[in-house]
Amino acid sequence: MANLELIDICKGFAEPVIDRLSLTVEKGEFFVVVGPSGIGKTTLLRCVAGLESLDAGRVVIDGKDLTRVPPYQRKVAMTFESYALYPHLTVFDNIASPLKARGLPKAEIAQRVGEVARLLRIDQLLGRRPHEVSGGQKQRTALGRTLVAKPDVFLLDEPISHLDAKIRHELRRQFHELEELRQVATIYVTHDYAEALSLGDRVGVMGPGGLQQIGPPREVFDRPGTLFVARHLGQPSINAFDGVLEENGGGLQVRSETGFALPVAQAHAGRLRDRNEREITVGIRPQFIDVVDAGVAADGRFLFDARVDLHEALGANGVLIAKADGQSLSVITSTSAAFEPDEPVRLAVDPNRFHYFSADLGHNVLL
Amino acid sequence: MTTTEPTQAPAQRVINGRASRIDPKDYPDWFKAKRRGGSLIVHPLVPAVMVGLPILVIVAIVIYPTIWMFYHAFHDTNMMSLFSGDWAAVGFDNFGLVLSSDRFLSSIERLGIYLLFGACLQVLLGTALALLLYEGIRNNLARTIILILLVLPMMLPPSIVGVLWKFLLQANNGAINHLLINIGVMEATARIEWLDSGLSLWSLVLADTWQWTALPLLIVYSGRVSLPPAVYEAARVDGASSWRVLSRITLPMLREIIAIAFIIRFMDAYKFVDKVYVMTSGGPAESSELPVFVAFQKGIREFQIGEAAAYAILIFLFAAILVTLFLQYLKRVLRAQQTQ
Repeated sequence: MANLELIDICKGFAEPVIDRLSLTVEKGEFFVVVGPSGIGKTTLLRCVAGLESLDAGRVVIDGKDLTRVPPYQRKVAMTFESYALYPHLTVFDNIASPLKARGLPKAEIAQRVGEVARLLRIDQLLGRRPHEVSGGQKQRTALGRTLVAKPDVFLLDEPISHLDAKIRHELRRQFHELEELRQVATIYVTHDYAEALSLGDRVGVMGPGGLQQIGPPREVFDRPGTLFVARHLGQPSINAFDGVLEENGGGLQVRSETGFALPVAQAHAGRLRDRNEREITVGIRPQFIDVVDAGVAADGRFLFDARVDLHEALGANGVLIAKADGQSLSVITSTSAAFEPDEPVRLAVDPNRFHYFSADLGHNVLL
Repeated sequence: MTTTEPTQAPAQRVINGRASRIDPKDYPDWFKAKRRGGSLIVHPLVPAVMVGLPILVIVAIVIYPTIWMFYHAFHDTNMMSLFSGDWAAVGFDNFGLVLSSDRFLSSIERLGIYLLFGACLQVLLGTALALLLYEGIRNNLARTIILILLVLPMMLPPSIVGVLWKFLLQANNGAINHLLINIGVMEATARIEWLDSGLSLWSLVLADTWQWTALPLLIVYSGRVSLPPAVYEAARVDGASSWRVLSRITLPMLREIIAIAFIIRFMDAYKFVDKVYVMTSGGPAESSELPVFVAFQKGIREFQIGEAAAYAILIFLFAAILVTLFLQYLKRVLRAQQTQ
């Protein structure tokens, strides 16, 4: 049974933020909403929680329409980006607060808080106040407060984004392993695409107005529905530039405004010819451009020359910014590579890896 | 290869051992002195004069009179001996005199009533109004207008408020009695003697509360405004009732703010002389005298300098103890919330 359904929900403040968004999150599913800051991800969660009233649409949980039902009757638990812990209460009392609000007997509260605290490994900290524990422990306290309530729907708002990388990794693993989260529908909001791809059973990429694409992480990454989605997932961001399609000796090629030309793969050419539109936006992920030695064979790839603008060595890999015929491209390089500015490099791309987006609306024209 | 002009680092000079951004050349002449090496420094007398003058003023108007007061508290100084200069040391006699006088003890009792039903009630009322205003009125403009109206009385000079309420509370032709008659609470021939012995202290408390409730209101209101909204949303999701939110979240988080409101009102309470002087002059028959007013009467009216000094010291001690207790509490609360 579907656990959470959002049907055509609309919400705006001065201007519309969410426009006719529909989404179904199954019981046991971990759904991640990813998108840039200020796009309305938190607003979406607040609408589900009932903290914002909808302008239109319905929120249905377990088949019951809860659109007009106040937050506490929705059996929804939400963590806040700022954790929203009660500063004057201990970790125990913070976790216990939803149970106390329901007036449960003391013994049961103690037992359930104890269970959750052990699960999250904060049972040593129950007597402390929020300011006496670390950021990761605060986060786990906030998470504990939602877990203890045994809700039908979990809403997690950037739960680990503000923590340092190491704790983030640890908590990410914890999210994978938490059995409790596998019993209910979870919506997890983040701006970090890596977090989204790693955690989500399905991922929704939020753009202006709502979710631009929903799908399994792999699919959203490999087959972005729009330029916006392609741009938001991946670091460094996908290389995208406007160009025009031209016939070139039997094949099709795309030429950028600066004059940089790339061949179109045979598999794509038919679709692009059918569209009868010359203007197009090409997208190439930085990891699909390789730096090759001067004499290397093409082997189905397209080889071209470029000049180094900048090279950042990042430890696990490097990011090379190079210019080919005036067109700037990011390339992910191996660790050992070293480049000097203005140095000539030879680059190879597989045209089958290209994405094409319509120049006006940004839709992926190959899908 | 182009070379850029080396940028001038911002001048960081050391003058008299301290970092300074001011060029000594820009000092006024009287400010300057030359060191033997030839470098300019601030004239050594300048800091001495700049700090010394205010110290002199403070010594003259605060420290000297305080010492004078402590000295005379242990002497039998009165108008006669003050001018002849032949006062005698009497040890703790003045304190004995004060502590055994009914006038002082009953004034302390009245101070207790005033603290409890004046200052405390003002803080509680102000807190209630502040939270009611914040939670109950959602329209920002309406909220601001109400806030301004509530704060207006505080902007009047206390003595003027005293005069105002003295008129309002007149037994004959006073507006309050008229009002009570007109709304039918009281018979047309009846009179409430607001400023008579039974009620005079309560009338003072009433006028003072009218004026000063706005102060704790403002303090608590601004405290409530700055509480994090996310905490309240978490409480809404948890399903906490309004009463629970108030008693378990709002009030505990406003603890130190409310404590500060108490401290400010309590410190003011010891200075509560203005309205007493204007409205009742401590009367009738000393029935609305508060300790400071008695001390004032003793010293300025009756010229019993020694006794008045003893009064002042006792009041000071009393106030110091109470405020210290509050500050201790505040310190404890703040320590519990540090490093957030």
